[in-house]
Amino acid sequence: MKEIMGLIYTGENDARLRELTVTRAIAAMPVAGRYRVIDFLVSSMVNGGMKNIGVITQKNYHSLMDHLGSGKEWDLHGKNDGLHILPPFLTRENVGLYPGLLDALRSNSNFLVRSKQEYLVLSNSNIIYNAHLDELFRYYKDTGADITLLYTKDPDMKRDEFGTYLAIDKTEIVTDIEVEPTHPSYDNTYMQVMVIRRELLKELVDKAVSHGQHSMDRDILLRLVQDKTAKINAFEYKGKCWQIDSVQSYFRFNMEILDPKMRKGLFRDELPVFTKVRDEMPAYYGDDCTVINSLVADGCQIEGTVENSVLFRGVKIAPGAHVKNCIIMQDGQVHEGAYIENCILDKQSVIKRNAKLIGPEAYPIVIGKDVVI
Amino acid sequence: MLRKKTCVAMLLAGGQGSRLGILTKNVAKPAVPYGGKYRIIDFPLSNCTNSGIDTVGVLTQYQPLELNAYIGSGAPWDLDISNGGVFVLPPYQKGKSGEWYRGTANAIYQNIAFIEQYNPDYVLILSGDHIYKMDYNAMLNYHIRHGADATIAVREVPWEDTSRFGIMNTDSEDRITEFEEKPKNAKSNKASMGVYIFTWEKLRKYLEQDEADKKSSNDFGKNIIPNMLNDKQVLVAYNFSGYWKDVGTIESLWEANMDLLETPMPIDMHDKKWRIYAKNPGMAPHYIADGAKVTDSLITEGCEVYGNVNHSVLFAGVIIEEGAKIESCVIMPGSVIKRGAIVRRAIVAENAVVGPGAIIGEETGNIAVIGNKMTIPAGVSIPAGEQVDETYTF
Repeated sequence: MKEIMGLIYTGENDARLRELTVTRAIAAMPVAGRYRVIDFLVSSMVNGGMKNIGVITQKNYHSLMDHLGSGKEWDLHGKNDGLHILPPFLTRENVGLYPGLLDALRSNSNFLVRSKQEYLVLSNSNIIYNAHLDELFRYYKDTGADITLLYTKDPDMKRDEFGTYLAIDKTEIVTDIEVEPTHPSYDNTYMQVMVIRRELLKELVDKAVSHGQHSMDRDILLRLVQDKTAKINAFEYKGKCWQIDSVQSYFRFNMEILDPKMRKGLFRDELPVFTKVRDEMPAYYGDDCTVINSLVADGCQIEGTVENSVLFRGVKIAPGAHVKNCIIMQDGQVHEGAYIENCILDKQSVIKRNAKLIGPEAYPIVIGKDVVI
Repeated sequence: MLRKKTCVAMLLAGGQGSRLGILTKNVAKPAVPYGGKYRIIDFPLSNCTNSGIDTVGVLTQYQPLELNAYIGSGAPWDLDISNGGVFVLPPYQKGKSGEWYRGTANAIYQNIAFIEQYNPDYVLILSGDHIYKMDYNAMLNYHIRHGADATIAVREVPWEDTSRFGIMNTDSEDRITEFEEKPKNAKSNKASMGVYIFTWEKLRKYLEQDEADKKSSNDFGKNIIPNMLNDKQVLVAYNFSGYWKDVGTIESLWEANMDLLETPMPIDMHDKKWRIYAKNPGMAPHYIADGAKVTDSLITEGCEVYGNVNHSVLFAGVIIEEGAKIESCVIMPGSVIKRGAIVRRAIVAENAVVGPGAIIGEETGNIAVIGNKMTIPAGVSIPAGEQVDETYTF
């Protein structure tokens, strides 16, 4: 698969993730006990044979850079190609923030020009999936399409005004696209993952940006479909996927992944998910602890009670503490006698003795990074 | 030309470790899993990295395949560097001659050329037999400060155990006056840990002399150290008092795993300044199901627990099905304990399957061992102390 590269855009709107994205992009959100959202995308690309992967960053990208490092964990630190982090930079035409994906692609056109691969998979970074991207690419080549879009029929992904939806005919050609409709007419949610020829992408982006356009979906894909100037088809992703764009959807993903069936749909033996390694010892369970229906990472020390929760690396639950329906990120601590329910604790936050915090299930309490309660 | 190194480490990993029975039938002892996510060799390798020693030769001979694959480029220990790093050194053909490593000293002798590439002042000799955290750099400073030709790490052992160790008799300044291999009536309880630092120039001379002596068994303990003592070379003992556990037998390997469940842990594995690195299997966090009960245990990535686990260590990817009961066990990577099976005081090696309702081990007595990739049929009982491999008849 030397002819295909990957490109990930990480500049999505994160306003609905509240404090959680103050210091990090959605792509860098910690999920499922030891991962970041971007691990799933980069791993899918690497498992699909891509060895040249660019990550376009927008704001708060320190955490993302720190996580990805040289790309070693994904075997992306070779001399040829490898992982490229593409931070925004000030140019005559670009001042800091990208108004849209097209602007981001335009300002990284150097990376596109410099890359050697003929084809490219372009992906957003707020949908968690673990796909056989090699199958997607084979489909693209076999059908001779100009662009192939990845979509899902998962009803949970049909989320009204924030999505892009596809109408597809019997030959899997895309016949219509709805961008952010209030009530979508189609059941096929576009997963913001496409295969395209690198040169074609560059051409389309240049043309659109020079006409003052910013949206890939509305200004490029929709137009191409309406004008019938390109062959755009669609490939169905049959696995499970989750959009992470609000505190609720973040919470829901972590809770759903407790279900062994859901987990099997995401963690598949043939598609390993790689992440930065922290070299913690295995989790320790004390003599009197009670743990049920929970995901626990290495380095945790559990002496209290944990129910329906996700504990990241190095979390400490003291004797007599009770944690229910919670997500506790790296190095969080819950001290003796504390009770927390429906809470998301960001990294290194501490719940002191006998504190009590109960959030409503539909609107979990978010405790910011390094906060002590 | 490679840049000079102050100290190069040589790790003797060639032994079979036959006292580990079926656990070392297909792997060398240093590659035996320990502590939920480690292999024995992770301890000396991590100690090297944490001590600032970045050039390590690993001498292999017995069943090297798994060990080679495990060490790989050395990346988990930060030993994948361009000037130095970790090197697997099997015996090789030299001109017309070519031979196996005949003893610990001979193994180093055959790799003099490797060591000389780095033109080191000192050479650290290690073994892959123990679980311990040790600052080799502190030991090196001690060696230099004492102007020693050789420094031997020693540890006080219970007097009744002295007959199992190489014992160092020392004067009041820790200078070694006599070395006794497994003495009946020991004069000291300072046992050699098999960790040596030599001034390289001296060691090379003694290795060459030893090689010329056809009667020698080419062993550090039997030949090199006694010869140096006879010649009145400066040999000093370096006292080490931290956790140090031999894992050379089934029982001691089991015990060393159980030690990690003590409170407080006798070896601090949470110390961020002295991490023990290991190759990461890259699996999801482990899952404890509704209805499972887990107490006093260590559990790592990829495990799925639906049954009861008490006082046990589970390695990556272990599955404990509903109704299964695990008590005082070590379950190595990838093994599955089926529904209703009871496993007590046992070591289950890698990728084994214990069938539904099988009973392994007993509440007391010796440790039962299930070999690599073995499948125990449903309902079968394996008594305490049994070792089950392909030759076992159920």
